[in-house]
Amino acid sequence: MPTPTTTRPSRSGAHQVLIVLYALFTLAAGARSIVQLASDAGRAPVAYTLSLVAAVTYAVGWYAIREAADGRAGLASVTLWIELGGVLVGGTLSLVARDLFPDASVWSDYGIGYGFVPAVLPVAGLLWLRHRRGSGAAA
Amino acid sequence: MQSVLTQISVVVIGYAGFVVLAALFSILRWRARPPWLVSLVWMLEFLMAVRALAGVAAIAGGERPDAFATHVGYLAASVCVMPIAVGSIDADDEGVWTAGVIAVAAIAVSVIAVRLQQTV
Repeated sequence: MPTPTTTRPSRSGAHQVLIVLYALFTLAAGARSIVQLASDAGRAPVAYTLSLVAAVTYAVGWYAIREAADGRAGLASVTLWIELGGVLVGGTLSLVARDLFPDASVWSDYGIGYGFVPAVLPVAGLLWLRHRRGSGAAA
Repeated sequence: MQSVLTQISVVVIGYAGFVVLAALFSILRWRARPPWLVSLVWMLEFLMAVRALAGVAAIAGGERPDAFATHVGYLAASVCVMPIAVGSIDADDEGVWTAGVIAVAAIAVSVIAVRLQQTV
């Protein structure tokens, strides 16, 4: 017979920090891309669109980590890999095709404009998921 | 007006750095979040509100930053980040990770304060 604690969402933990980081990056990337696309979209359309994609990814990541904290890790285990791929592909593209990036995107140079937090964030999320699975298996 | 804004920004950035250090100290102790940390946070929020008010007053007085939309965005974000971060913590949750939430939000506030000053 399941006890109430097995179904209760995990309230306190490292995911709280991840959720705040994802919320902040949703706000930062979303506001940045919307302002840039609305004011001068033709200047760097690839970079500005990539920032918008990053904002959507962070919004999905925010939701996915909340779900994972409640025991539903399916979405997070997919979206965090997509986010990591986006940072790596976007970062590499910004280095090899400079002409596509006359202005920086959130993922340019692997997130150097944000202290490389965009590159660290999905890795931290994946490590948290792995740790959580490990704890679950041990319990 | 610019010198006043700069002085308030310097105080806000310095105080935000202090809150970050206090939050990191709480994390390193690895115990329940001390109640004084939230008091420090609300003091920081008060300072950010003063900076935002001064920024709005400068705009109302006729000053127009080059990146106007970006600057207004930073003004709005400067007063919203901390209440949203603290609001995400349950009232009875004093876990050590809640100090991490405060540390992240205080870092974000200090970055916003710097960017606010850069876009004046």
